[in-house]
Amino acid sequence: MDHPTPHAGAALTRRSLLLGTAAAGTALAMPHVARAAEPIRIGLLQAKQGPIVQQAEYLQQGTMLALAQMNNTLLGRPAEILWEDEPTPQAAAQNAERLIRERRVVALLGGTLSSTALAEEAVAGQLRIPYMCNNAAAREITGRNCNRYSFRLQPPVPVHARAMLPYLTGIGKRWYFLTASYAFGQDIARSFKELLREVGGTEAGADEVPVGTADYSAFVLKIRAAKPDLVIGGITSGDLSNFLKQWNELGMRDAVPFTEISVGDTDLWAIGRETACGTYTKTWYYRDPNNSADDREFAAAYQAKYKRPAADKAWMGWYSARAMFRAIEAAQSTEPDAIVAALENWRESDAGMTVDFRKWDHQMVHRLLVAGVKQQIPDQWDYFDVLASVPKTEAAMQQAYGGEADTACHMPPT
Amino acid sequence: MLDVVLMQAGNGLVLGFLYVLIALGLSIVFGLLGIVNFAHGSFFALGAYLAVTLVDAIGWAGAPIAVVLVGAIGMATEMALIRRLYDKDPLVSLIVTFALALLTEAVIRAVWGSAGQPFRAPRALAGVVMWGPFLITRYRLAVMGLTVAILVLLWAFLRFTPFGRILRAGSRDPEMVGLLGINLPRALTGTFGLGCLLAAIAGLLAAPLWTVTPSMGTAAIMPAFVIVTIGGLGSYVGAVIAGLLVGVVQSLTIQFDPAASAAAMYVLMAAILLVRPRGLLGERWERFE
Repeated sequence: MDHPTPHAGAALTRRSLLLGTAAAGTALAMPHVARAAEPIRIGLLQAKQGPIVQQAEYLQQGTMLALAQMNNTLLGRPAEILWEDEPTPQAAAQNAERLIRERRVVALLGGTLSSTALAEEAVAGQLRIPYMCNNAAAREITGRNCNRYSFRLQPPVPVHARAMLPYLTGIGKRWYFLTASYAFGQDIARSFKELLREVGGTEAGADEVPVGTADYSAFVLKIRAAKPDLVIGGITSGDLSNFLKQWNELGMRDAVPFTEISVGDTDLWAIGRETACGTYTKTWYYRDPNNSADDREFAAAYQAKYKRPAADKAWMGWYSARAMFRAIEAAQSTEPDAIVAALENWRESDAGMTVDFRKWDHQMVHRLLVAGVKQQIPDQWDYFDVLASVPKTEAAMQQAYGGEADTACHMPPT
Repeated sequence: MLDVVLMQAGNGLVLGFLYVLIALGLSIVFGLLGIVNFAHGSFFALGAYLAVTLVDAIGWAGAPIAVVLVGAIGMATEMALIRRLYDKDPLVSLIVTFALALLTEAVIRAVWGSAGQPFRAPRALAGVVMWGPFLITRYRLAVMGLTVAILVLLWAFLRFTPFGRILRAGSRDPEMVGLLGINLPRALTGTFGLGCLLAAIAGLLAAPLWTVTPSMGTAAIMPAFVIVTIGGLGSYVGAVIAGLLVGVVQSLTIQFDPAASAAAMYVLMAAILLVRPRGLLGERWERFE
């Protein structure tokens, strides 16, 4: 009969200890070997609640579609997207940190609002994980808050604003500003006020609106009393939908022109054909005749999967995720610095112009659309006439985005 | 400037009536059942969503059906869940109804999606009416008239009908009401259903003004709580006065300091509670003391 002895126990413990030490040593010395069997994880930070959620849903769907088009694999390994919420900047930062530290994601995508994107890019920079901001437009993201690991698809607010300018001065030079009280809205107010000074116009009024405002009637009455030539909006998603509904309700739709940058298709789909109005910049439109073959293929795939046209936000989620995935494939590695280098060298062509990320601030350089709401909207999706695709040449593109000398971004040393 | 102030005050009063309607169901459920119903906003949203769907399918006849459906859902919820909370600590009802709110929002998101749903008022109510310095839309005028009618009917119902008397007596001394042979549980089920029905009416009436999204209840529930607190927990008249007050204060704040407009109602609530800790017309509630 065998009896357990202290020595037998010690031998087993020693063996376990040796095996454990060897495994831990391998994991520390060669993390790529240790993780070979694990799927490659990509973190997605996109709002699941709050007024921006209607845009976030499409951003998320576009992102998922980009991975599905790669058969849910990266570098020949299974890949998965872990989607976390970003209800506030603080929670966004915490979720970004958790995704990196605990879930071991190799890259982050997201940033529905500028305020949360700024928080996420700070975490990405600190923990040295590539981050692709897919929606937020505040200039600081690739401006003074930039870092080596953060990239951004959406053109910054000043680029949008300057693209709109030729379409605004003809309307009048007495502008009223209605902008949200966070980074995006404040940047819109700042950018358009700079332009207004340039063209010698006057300010009819300026209101900063709390995020999540449901009733805009008092704001509309103020604007009505100020009698501006034009209203510059800086509110987004559900807030913009609320405003436009009440703008129409109070009889202002045909009285004073309204304009805003970077509008989401969903913001107008939510209010209905008879209520929509305004002139906007857009990053993409599913019926833009200049869309590339890849864009058209994406739009068809989205339509097939979700039984509705792809919103601009779906494209933004898809395009930014695809750039990240292709960079990982090009790097042939999940090492952060290799992915960053691959993103810096990522390049595509669109409408005869180069699309890439500038090395000095990691801002994607991509054309914009100026679009007006149709007089007669034919169906529940096709709200816009594309008035222009700008800039039209590479040189004009460089001028619109500004050069290295103009940037407020100074990449911290690695 | 006086014209602008009057115009904003008038607009605030009209907005206040919508707030009153949102807060009314919450106030009644608290006043008669003693339940702080955090899910009130989700019944508001559910009312809007069902109205959008039914009006789209069968025209405006679908609107009252949507409201009644939400009332029925409310009654079923009371029988399945809420009645188990009557003898529990008030904190338990807060937690359970908060969970119910999250669940309802998730169900709405699963059924209708996250994107907003278009909905507009009947064409007959389009346009604005100008009256001196006051500018009001026909639709808001109709909302105001309907709210006043609902207030009067509800007051008469609670004051003069036997059912109303049972509810008022039951809210203070349920044991005595039971000893008198009255089926109080059935009355309480009806009351919770009535609160949900009022939330659905508010949701239906707000749908042409506010975007119909799964989280629209969140925008409604906070003013409703502030109004019920300012008016005095469970006070019917207090809720009416507080709703109008919040509407006016919010409109005037937008005129003079728009960035502070979201905080204005909370400042008002803090100021009133400093002077009257039970709210404007609040009474002493042994259960919550």
